Amino acid sequence: MTDWQAHAERRWAGKRLQRLEDPGMLTGATRYVTDVRLPRMLELAFVRSHAPSARIVSVDLKPARAVPGVRAVLGSADVADVQPTVDIVHLDGALKTPRFTLPGDRVRYVGEPVAAVLADDRYAAEDGADAVIVELEPLGEDEPIHDDIPGGRYFHQAAAHGDVDAAFRQARHVVRRRLHAQRVVTAPLETCGIVADYDTATGELTCYLSTQQPHLARAGLAEAVGLPVSDIRIICPAMGGGFGGKEVILPEYLCAAVAAIRLRRPVRWVEDRSEALTAGAHGKEAEAELEAALDDDGRILAMRSRFVSDTGAYSSGIGAYVEFMVGAFTVPGLYDLGAYAYDTGGVVSHKAPISPFRGVGMTTSQTLREVLLDDAARALGTDRMELRRRNMVADGPWRTVLGEEYEPGSWRTAFERALELIDYDAFLVRQAAARGEGRLLGIGVSPFVEAAGIGSAGGAGGLPGGSHDNATVAIDLSGHITVALPTFSHGQGHRTTAAQLVADMFGVAPEDVRVIDGDTARTPFGMGTFGSRSAVFIAGTVDRAGELVRDKLLRVGEILLEAAREDLELVDGTVGVRGVPSRRIPLASVAGAAHFAPHVRAELGDPTLTATAFFDPPRPTHSNGTIAATVEVDPGTGGVAIDRIVVVEDCGTMVNPMIVEGQIRGGVAQGVGLALLERYVYDESGQPQTTTLAEYLLPRATDMPRIEIEHIETPSENGTGGIKGMAEGPASATPAALACAVLDAIAPHGASIEELPLRPETIAAALASR
Amino acid sequence: MKPSAFEYLAPESCDEVLAALAGRGDDAAVLAGGQSLIPMMNLRIAAPPVVIDIMRIAEFRTIERGEEWIEIGAGIRMAQAERESASPLIEYALKHVGHAAIRNAGTVCGSIAHADPAAELPAVLLALDGEVVLRSTRGVRAVAADDFFRSYFTTAREPDELVVAVRIPTTPRRVAFLEVTPRLGGSTGEFATVAVAAAAERDDAGRFASVSLAFAGVAERAIRAREAETLLAGAEPTGDAIAEAAERAADAVDPPEDVHAGADYRRELVRALTRRALGELASR
Amino acid sequence: MTPVSVTVNGTTHELDVPPRLLLADLLRDELGLTGTKIGCAMGACGACTVLVDGEPVRSCLMFAVQADGRAVRTVEDLAGASGELHPLQAALREHHGLQCGYCTPGMLMAITPLLESGQPLEREDVREAIAGNLCRCTGYETIVDAVVEESRR
Repeated sequence: MTDWQAHAERRWAGKRLQRLEDPGMLTGATRYVTDVRLPRMLELAFVRSHAPSARIVSVDLKPARAVPGVRAVLGSADVADVQPTVDIVHLDGALKTPRFTLPGDRVRYVGEPVAAVLADDRYAAEDGADAVIVELEPLGEDEPIHDDIPGGRYFHQAAAHGDVDAAFRQARHVVRRRLHAQRVVTAPLETCGIVADYDTATGELTCYLSTQQPHLARAGLAEAVGLPVSDIRIICPAMGGGFGGKEVILPEYLCAAVAAIRLRRPVRWVEDRSEALTAGAHGKEAEAELEAALDDDGRILAMRSRFVSDTGAYSSGIGAYVEFMVGAFTVPGLYDLGAYAYDTGGVVSHKAPISPFRGVGMTTSQTLREVLLDDAARALGTDRMELRRRNMVADGPWRTVLGEEYEPGSWRTAFERALELIDYDAFLVRQAAARGEGRLLGIGVSPFVEAAGIGSAGGAGGLPGGSHDNATVAIDLSGHITVALPTFSHGQGHRTTAAQLVADMFGVAPEDVRVIDGDTARTPFGMGTFGSRSAVFIAGTVDRAGELVRDKLLRVGEILLEAAREDLELVDGTVGVRGVPSRRIPLASVAGAAHFAPHVRAELGDPTLTATAFFDPPRPTHSNGTIAATVEVDPGTGGVAIDRIVVVEDCGTMVNPMIVEGQIRGGVAQGVGLALLERYVYDESGQPQTTTLAEYLLPRATDMPRIEIEHIETPSENGTGGIKGMAEGPASATPAALACAVLDAIAPHGASIEELPLRPETIAAALASR
Repeated sequence: MKPSAFEYLAPESCDEVLAALAGRGDDAAVLAGGQSLIPMMNLRIAAPPVVIDIMRIAEFRTIERGEEWIEIGAGIRMAQAERESASPLIEYALKHVGHAAIRNAGTVCGSIAHADPAAELPAVLLALDGEVVLRSTRGVRAVAADDFFRSYFTTAREPDELVVAVRIPTTPRRVAFLEVTPRLGGSTGEFATVAVAAAAERDDAGRFASVSLAFAGVAERAIRAREAETLLAGAEPTGDAIAEAAERAADAVDPPEDVHAGADYRRELVRALTRRALGELASR
Repeated sequence: MTPVSVTVNGTTHELDVPPRLLLADLLRDELGLTGTKIGCAMGACGACTVLVDGEPVRSCLMFAVQADGRAVRTVEDLAGASGELHPLQAALREHHGLQCGYCTPGMLMAITPLLESGQPLEREDVREAIAGNLCRCTGYETIVDAVVEESRR
C-alpha cells in the first residue's frame, strides 16, 4: 500500500455512490456508435452467404450499382490488399486460419460477408444488397473447412499432473459425466458497429467503434489496412454491452475502413440483430467430459477432463482458444485434487466464429464439475455438501494441482454462509415432503473462484495475452483531476469507480474528477476491458500515476505553505496544513503556481502536473463466492420455476458495492439464460435456426427470481487497495447451481440430462424415459 | 433490417379499402396494427408492393354488442379488447399475446387474419365457434372459424376481401385458457409452444353438456379436439373422464417439429393442458 | 413521398417521408432524437419503445406515416427543461437500474404510464409490465426495485 492509503480517509471508496455516467444514459443524451452522424456519411450493408459451405462461383455487383441511393459496391477484389486477420495467440502447435475480409474463393458459414454495399441510407443499402447476385456451388461434406487443418482440429493439448492413471486404477469409485455446452450468442442490447472517417488532409483514419479494447483495435486495424498505428484513432463514445463479443476485429470493420479511405466519405455500419444472431458474436459450445476417482470417504483422488470446442469457421480470434484452455484449467476450482489430467482442444466447423463470452471456459467447467460432484455424492450415498466439504481447500492461500497460486480467499466461509442463507437442511425436509405430494423440488450449490488481474506473468489458462496497462493522471489549471484510462466500460461504471478512487487520493469530490476513456488519442496504452480485469488495473495504474502527481502537489504545497510534508493533507479540494484551517490553498492555485510562479518552478525543477504510470500485476487476484439455487420442476410440462438464488461474493475490497452487486445480478441473469433458455441451433445442413429473438430466448424480467446477495471482503494481497476483479464468477456458478438443482429435482426418477440448456422438453423427456 | 419500398394507401372509408383490394388485392398487404406484418417486412420475408392502411376508418373502430354476439371491428386494438370485450376467454388469452406494447398497436382482427398456427386468438375464436366477417366489392359473408383457418398463415380470405370484424357468441360458458411457453415457470407473453382455449357448459346435474377444446401450436392451424369433446358430452367431470379425454386429445394430434419443441413434447403438452383445463372447467 | 404531420414531444412537424420509413428512424435521423434505440427491428427487445398517444408502442414496428395526426413522446421529453431528472429517472439511478444504458430509454417509456395511475405497484405487476423490455446487464431486479419504490411515493 502506498503512503497515501495509510493516511487517507476512505471517504468515497466503499460507498454506494450513484453513478456519474447515469444522467446521460437516462436522458437519452449518451451517444453510442449508432448515434454518431457525420456529414456525407454513407451506410453500409453486407451481402452474406446463404450457404454454410460453398465455392463462390460468381458475385455480380453490377445490378446493385443501379439501385437508387447506392453509391458504391465492394467485392472481394476491392479489399484484396487488406491483410488477413490472425489471432495473437502463441501456442505451440496452433494451426492458424487467417481470415480475409471478403473471401473470393469460398464461404464457410451462413452469414459470412461476401460483398459490401454503400448507400445514402440503410434502406437503400439493403436494396442494393438484395440486388447483388451471388452464385454459390455447395461443397461436399468431405471438403476440409481449411486446407491447412486436415481433420478440422486446429489445436490440441494434453497433460497430466500427478499420477492420474494410478489413482483411477486404485479408486474405489469412479464417476463420469458428459456435458454438451451449447452454442450461445453474447447478444448485448447494442450490436456491433463502426463509423470510419478518413481525413484526406492529415491521412488520419478515425473510427468510432463499439469496442472493449480501443488500443488493441487500433493496432489490429492498422496492421490490416496498412496504416501506421499513429495514423489511426479509435473512439468508443459509449458501449451498450460487450461481454466479450466486442474484443475482436470483424471483417466488417475492415470493409468500412477501406470504404471510408477509398470513397473519402465517412462510412457507418451498424450490425442489425439478424446479422448479430446469424453471423455475429457467438460464444462457448463445447463437448466436455469429466471423470473423478474417489475413495470410500469421498475424497477425490484424481480427475480427468476432456474438452473439444467447436469454434466455428475460423480460429482467428482469441475466442478460438480461451474456451477450451480456460475450461481445462479451471476444473480444479476450490477442490484439492490429488492428480489431474486434461485433454483439450478445438475444431473448426461451418458455423459463425466464436468470440469470448463472459465466463469463458468457466461456465462449462464449473457446471460439469459441480454436477459430477453431485453424481459422486449420490453414488457414495453421501450428502452432496458433505462431499464438497471433504474436498474443499481451507480458506487462505492455495497452490492447485496445476501449480496455480491462489491468494487468500474465503472459499469455505462463503460456502457455509450460502448454505445458511438458503437454509439447506430445512430445504431437504421440505423437498422430501413435497416429493410425497408429487412435487419436484431441487437445490444446487456451487462454490466458485475466479482469477482476474492477469498480467504478463500469465495466469489461469496458461494463455499469453495478459500484459500491462497505463493510466494518466493530471491536474489542470482549474484544479480538476483528470484520469485517462485505456479500459472501456460496457456498463460496469468505470468512470464512477475511478472517480471514487481518485477522489480519495486527492481529497476532492468524485463529480470533480474527469475520467476519460474510449479514445486512443486521449488515453495511454492498455489492454482494455475483459476477463474481469478492469478494477484491478484501474486501481493499480491510477494509484501509481496518481501518486506521482500527488507527490508534485504536495511539494508545491510545501513551498507555498512553508510546511513539512508530514503536516500537509489534501482535503476538500485544497492542500492544507493539518489542523490549521486557515492555511489551505485550493488545488487550482497550486496548479497555477506550478505553471507560472517562478520561485516555485525554480524549486520544483519539473513542473509537470501530469504523470503516466503502468501496472503489470506480478500475480493475479482471486475472488470467490458461492451460489445456491432452489427450483421446482413441473412434472407435466418439464417447466422450471426458480424459487431462490442466493449469492455470497468475496471480491476483496469493494470500491462501489452497488456496482459490484449490479455485476453479480447481471452475471446471474446470464447464468439463468445459459442454464435454462439460451441456445443457438444449426440444423444438419448447417442452416441457422435461431436467427431472431423469437427463437433465441434471452432472459426476461419474468424469468428472473429475486437474487439475494451477501458480501465478504477478504482484501487482495495482489490487487492495489485490496481490490480483486469480479463479474465472471457469478456468471459461471449460476448455471452450475441451477443445473445441480434441476438434476436434484429429477434425480429420484433416475432421470439425468447431459446438455445445456435444461429446456422443458429435455426435462420432460428425461422424466418420461425413466 | 429495413423494409423494401412499397406504395402506401390510406383509405378513409370501407368502400375505398374494398375498391383498392378489388384492384390491387393480389399485390397488397393490409396494414392494421402492423405487429405481424411489419416484422416480416423488416426482415424482408414479406415485400408487398402495395400496403393498405385501414386504421383511418372510423367504422372499424367499434365493438358492437348484440343480444347473442359481440362483434369486434378491424380497427380494435388488442389492448382495448382486453379492457372492453366482455368475452372472458378473449381477455384471458390476450394477456398471453406478445407484450403490452405489441397489444397497444396490434389488432384482434389482424391476428385472426394472420392465422399463425401458434397464435392464441385463432384458438379462442375456434373454441367459441366464432365467425369471421369478410367484405369485398362483391358483398359480405360470415365464415365459421373452423372454415376460415386453412393452413399455415392461410385462410379462406380471398385477395379482394377484408376481414372487417370477428363475431363471438356471448352464451355464458365456463372458460379456461392455458399456455406453455419455452420460458420459466409461469411466464406469460411472447408466444406459445402449445396453448389450449377451452369452454364448457354444465347441466344442472353438473355433467359436461358440451365442451370445446381448441389448441394452438399443434398443427398447421388452430384445431379442435373433436373426439375428446364428443367423449365428454354428457359425461360426469370425473378424474378418469378427464384423463381419457386428455389421452384422446393427445392421440389425435400430429404436431410439427421446430426449434422450440418436437412432436412428442407437444403431444405431452396437449395431454397435460387438456387435463388442467378440464380440471378448471370442472371446478367452476 | 408521403406527407405526415406528427407531434413529437409537444412540437408538431410537417414532413414528407418515404412510406417505408420506420417511426424509429424518423425520430432518430430526421428529428435527431437519438435516445430511442433500435435493438431488433421486430418488436422482441423493447429498446425502441416510445409513447404514441400516451401508450407504449414499438417504434420499429410502425411506419412514420402511421403516426400522422398522432402525438409521440420519447425519452428526451422526460427530464426537465434544465436537465432535472424525472422522478422515475432519479429512482432508476438511485437503485442502479441501468448499466450500459442501451435498454434504458425504452424501459423508461414502457414504465412511465404505469406510474400515472398513482397506485402503488407490486413487484409482480412491474415484472409483467417490463417483460417486453430486454436488458442484458442488470438482471432486472434493481429496475423493479426502483419502480416499486417510486410508485409508493
